[in-house]
Amino acid sequence: MEKKKIGVYVCHCGGNISDYVDVEKVRQAIEDEGGVMLAKTTMFACSDSNQKEMVDDIKNNDLNGVVVASCSPKLHLTTFGNVSERAGLNKYNYVHANIREQDSWAHSDDKPGATEKAILLVRAAIAKARLTESLEPNKIVAQKAVAIIGGGVAGMKAAIELSNMDCPVYIIEKEFFIGGRVSQWGAMFTTNETGKEVVTRLYNDMIKRANVTVFTGAEVVTNVGSIGDFKLKVKITPRYVKEKCDRGKLQQAIDACPVEVPDEFNFKITNRKAIYHNFPSEYPQAAVIDMNNCTRCGKCEPICDNIDFSQKEEILDIHVGSVLMATGFDPYTPHDGEFGYNEIGNVVTLPQFKRMIELSGKKLRYKGKNVKNIAYIYCVGSRQEEGGNTYCSRYCCTSAIHASLLVKKKFPDVYNYHFNRGIRTYGKQESLYYDSSAQGDIYLQAYEDALPVVSWNGSKTIVKINDILTGGREMEVEADLVVLVTGMVPRADNSVGTLFKLPKGRDKFFNEIHMKLRPVETFIDGVTISGACQGPKNIMESVNSALSAATKSYSYVSKGELETEPIVAVVNPDSCAWCNACSEACPFDAISMTKDGTKSIAMINNSVCKGCGMCLPVCPTDALELIAYSNNEIESMIDALAHD
Amino acid sequence: MMSGQSKNISFDALVVGGGIAGGEAALNLATTGFKVLLVEKELSIGGKMIMLSKVFPTLDCAACITTPKVSEISRHPNITIYTSSEVGNINKIAENNFEATIIRKPRYVVIEDCTACQLCEQACPVSVPDQYQYNLVGRKAAFIPFSIASPKAAAIDIDNCILCGACEKVCPTNCIDFTQETEEIQISVKTVILATGFKLFDPLLMPRYGFGLFKNVITSMQMERELAPTRPFNTVLRPGDGKVPDKIAYVLCTGSRDASIGNPICSQICCMYSIKQSQLLMGALPMADVTIYYLNIRSFGKGFEEFYQQAKGMGVNFVKGKIGKIRETENGNGNLILRYEDINEGIVKEAEHDMVILSVGVLPNQDASGFFPKEELKLDPYKFIYQADSLISPARTSIDGVFVAGTASGPMDIPDSILSAGSASAEALSYLIQE
Ligand SMILES: Cc1cc2nc3c(=O)[nH]c(=O)nc-3n(C[C@H](O)[C@H](O)[C@H](O)COP(=O)(O)OP(=O)(O)OC[C@H]3O[C@@H](n4cnc5c(N)ncnc54)[C@H](O)[C@@H]3O)c2cc1C
Ligand SMILES: Cc1cc2nc3c(=O)[nH]c(=O)nc-3n(C[C@H](O)[C@H](O)[C@H](O)COP(=O)(O)OP(=O)(O)OC[C@H]3O[C@@H](n4cnc5c(N)ncnc54)[C@H](O)[C@@H]3O)c2cc1C
Ligand code: SF4
Ligand code: SF4
Ligand code: SF4
Ligand code: SF4
Repeated sequence: MEKKKIGVYVCHCGGNISDYVDVEKVRQAIEDEGGVMLAKTTMFACSDSNQKEMVDDIKNNDLNGVVVASCSPKLHLTTFGNVSERAGLNKYNYVHANIREQDSWAHSDDKPGATEKAILLVRAAIAKARLTESLEPNKIVAQKAVAIIGGGVAGMKAAIELSNMDCPVYIIEKEFFIGGRVSQWGAMFTTNETGKEVVTRLYNDMIKRANVTVFTGAEVVTNVGSIGDFKLKVKITPRYVKEKCDRGKLQQAIDACPVEVPDEFNFKITNRKAIYHNFPSEYPQAAVIDMNNCTRCGKCEPICDNIDFSQKEEILDIHVGSVLMATGFDPYTPHDGEFGYNEIGNVVTLPQFKRMIELSGKKLRYKGKNVKNIAYIYCVGSRQEEGGNTYCSRYCCTSAIHASLLVKKKFPDVYNYHFNRGIRTYGKQESLYYDSSAQGDIYLQAYEDALPVVSWNGSKTIVKINDILTGGREMEVEADLVVLVTGMVPRADNSVGTLFKLPKGRDKFFNEIHMKLRPVETFIDGVTISGACQGPKNIMESVNSALSAATKSYSYVSKGELETEPIVAVVNPDSCAWCNACSEACPFDAISMTKDGTKSIAMINNSVCKGCGMCLPVCPTDALELIAYSNNEIESMIDALAHD
Repeated sequence: MMSGQSKNISFDALVVGGGIAGGEAALNLATTGFKVLLVEKELSIGGKMIMLSKVFPTLDCAACITTPKVSEISRHPNITIYTSSEVGNINKIAENNFEATIIRKPRYVVIEDCTACQLCEQACPVSVPDQYQYNLVGRKAAFIPFSIASPKAAAIDIDNCILCGACEKVCPTNCIDFTQETEEIQISVKTVILATGFKLFDPLLMPRYGFGLFKNVITSMQMERELAPTRPFNTVLRPGDGKVPDKIAYVLCTGSRDASIGNPICSQICCMYSIKQSQLLMGALPMADVTIYYLNIRSFGKGFEEFYQQAKGMGVNFVKGKIGKIRETENGNGNLILRYEDINEGIVKEAEHDMVILSVGVLPNQDASGFFPKEELKLDPYKFIYQADSLISPARTSIDGVFVAGTASGPMDIPDSILSAGSASAEALSYLIQE
């Protein structure tokens, strides 16, 4: 190996490091280490000007190893790797030392100690830099196609965008209808467009495109492969009704069906038949027979020719280069007794209330009674104590207030009482809060330690609160209807995330790589997340994230080829005895069995291996090594750390 | 105005504004292979984000996450950046065909040759308030905008320069050039993204809070600077007398949610940045008391509510109260008396603090409304750029082919600005491809 000429940069990070670490002392301590050719301190190693200086240093001194001692490699490993590349030095000769998260911030009370630790960490990095070798990325073919899982607004908008960019798209929608939650809402904030209008516009734009394929009643059942080449198996459940059919006959068939079940589309406030459709806001505009409830009585079949019980479940194979998740959210379901839910007759959730407004005629009625006083109870299922859903659901203050405006406009004799925990109509949505106060709505507030109480006094439903807006006075309202302003929770069935090994946040929504800067990328290369499956969002926010995710997914597949990290595990065929321990330890299923002549040995799939190193310690014969983290390199680092 | 030579250059996209939104949109287009011109009014790109301390709710150091972005933008071969430049006008000739005039103001320093050695800064005899430190400290007339500026090169503030020539003499690379003139550049582009950002509410408009009159009443942006790693002082100080404060108050909704000062809407970020600053203050000054006077705490985003609870847990005081008036104590110690309505108790109270931070709101930057002499770029009722199809195509404006990114269309935080920029660049891409 040629002799190493290493450049070392010790960063102040403004004061983030230098307030607690004597960076000049660190520099002096390592400048005479073997192989070190130059050692500098810098105010911000990542700044443009320092990057330029590094490029010049590398070129002018023919450096073949570089160490930056700064923040976490999560932030800047790539930054400085790229600096090396720009100077013509293969980026795998760059070594990062973390003296911020692992040092200055952790030991802010002990400057001499922190300085001493920084010196050791930098020495260890130098030790590794002496042994680094140039590596070339693995190249893999990328299928130019994207699978979008979920056909709500986020999924549809992403599909349209990808189609515009000339990228084939498959939408895989679990339900028999496209449109997601939005199809369930009537007039919506903040434009007053209806859900039907929004879904219709998107669907019509999407369906006319030759490069978009839409599957309904479809679910991903298996996934093998990885970025560039995901091989999905998709199960398609038949509708048992052909798409083109005579509406009149269909209606007769529906009327003839003897089975009635609660209608999920109306959040169970009405019933539907086993053969049903969700006109007018869901697409395709075709009927379905729900086999979970159909008794096969055969009553509908003779009425309508298009009913076809011979349709069979299908499994399709789909190959795509990237997967875009758009599986959305579930509304929170209160447990029995939570603010009287399912115990007191006139307590409903906000989604149910939205459907009630849609379905109601001239008068607002619930269970046969006229509704005059409506009590809204906010933050149900959100902002709970530790252990529950601690987050705020973001959309619900605005949505409840918008509903209260709508209901007052449609039924001027209702009165709205808002039992809130501090209204969060952020941004321009604030104007709805004004409008609602202006129309005479009453706002009453409590804190988390004294929530309102809903009770039944034998003839009426009473909502009680100690209202902090009037100095804690006890107030009560006789409510004809109590609307629980329920939050957003992750889909109850989020197993599709598990198929892709998608990490979840502490709120159980899918998690992004970096909340601030990379909000649609995930830890799983090639899988992006968008819309409400990442966390509560309104439509505008869902669409913005869908378009961002579409752009990212496109960037993975557009060139037909992808580069992946060469830092992967390698098997020494001589010592491997295929005991299977490594393949069980691998969290990414990257290891399988292969034959070396007649001998069984382990094989690493380079495009799936993430270089996590989990397999190494379990190998009983030491047959595995991790490129760039060989035993030799790690031991040299440990020696440097242990030496004083 | 002097008029310089005129060129005619073409790009695929013009992005106006080099904050995080404009930068992200430019990068998205550039990585897809389109040529972008990024026009920035200030001497450096990075917008407000590059000036921040740490960011809620992750508490990442803002400089540390902005500088690599900024350097990626400034290095990208498909992005051309004009700083100190403004849009004269933009004319839409046809779909996918816009002609624009860009006005490049002279910096009086040749950026490529300047090594940022700061010798000119040391030589310059003129001192004026430093706008990039929000006037907390001074700077010279020959100056490097700030330590992590991009481009990192000196500039001469010609309005304050006395033309003594001292800088020119010391500059080792002879890059100071007083003969530079304003240039007008004609460009043609196929699509436009407006990312002109927001303005901060000017608290001088609310004299009852005493900003400008009492030295220890500062804005939240000034506190960002005091807390930033590139901070002007080495610790948090009261500007009045340099004392380390120990009883700090935040006044939320300053210039927001108040129709009487012309801004009825909520600024969406100030609750959270105030909570963030309060946490940083508790870390920097462990003995200090921090009180936040609020109407509602709007911690609505991912991880926000937890961040709010965390601040409560750290001992930050939250008082639901509306501040009526702020006055200085009479004994000359520079402390401030806040008169407020305690909403929980329903009575008017007074409290003494030694430093007050006004959490100023987000106002529209109306520059873009003057860009289009022939077309109408509609504004919304609050004078932000109007979103023509806000649910389904949030980036569309009233002009086809012109898109909006980030806070130019309304208040939002950094992640929302980035998502909105992703949305704008995606729509612009579709528009470019469908040509
Ligand atoms: C009561 C209420 C009122 C609202 N009102 C408004 C309003 O007025 N204005 C506004 O802007 N926002 C409103 N919202 C928010 C709005 O509903 C969401 O922003 C929007 O639905 C998010 O879209 P999405 O595509 O991310 O998710 P969803 O709408 O949930 O769609 C996700 C889709 O994915 C499918 N799916 C789920 N899992 C799988 C799987 N494993 N495989 C395949 N497909 C799957 C689902 O069937 C669904 O079709 C409201 C929300 C609620 C609860
Ligand atoms: C005190 C404070 C603290 C904050 N803290 C946080 C935080 O912790 N976390 C968080 O997520 N967000 C925070 N924010 C919000 C964050 O600053 C904004 O979300 C973000 O800066 C918006 O980016 P932008 O690009 O839309 O606008 P801006 O940052 O305003 O950028 C706009 C750019 O356009 C340029 N420009 C304007 N007009 C023209 C023109 N006519 N021609 C050319 N260029 C022009 C400007 O010079 C500027 O560079 C904070 C804001 C403040 C005020
Ligand atoms: S948006 Fe409003 S109702 Fe919803 S959880 Fe947040 S504070 Fe509660
Ligand atoms: S202008 Fe000249 S003196 Fe000033 S920083 Fe640049 S190189 Fe140095
Ligand atoms: S010429 Fe102007 S900028 Fe240069 S030193 Fe004199 S005053 Fe300063
Ligand atoms: S975000 Fe908070 S401080 Fe800012 S205007 Fe809204 S409510 Fe007021």
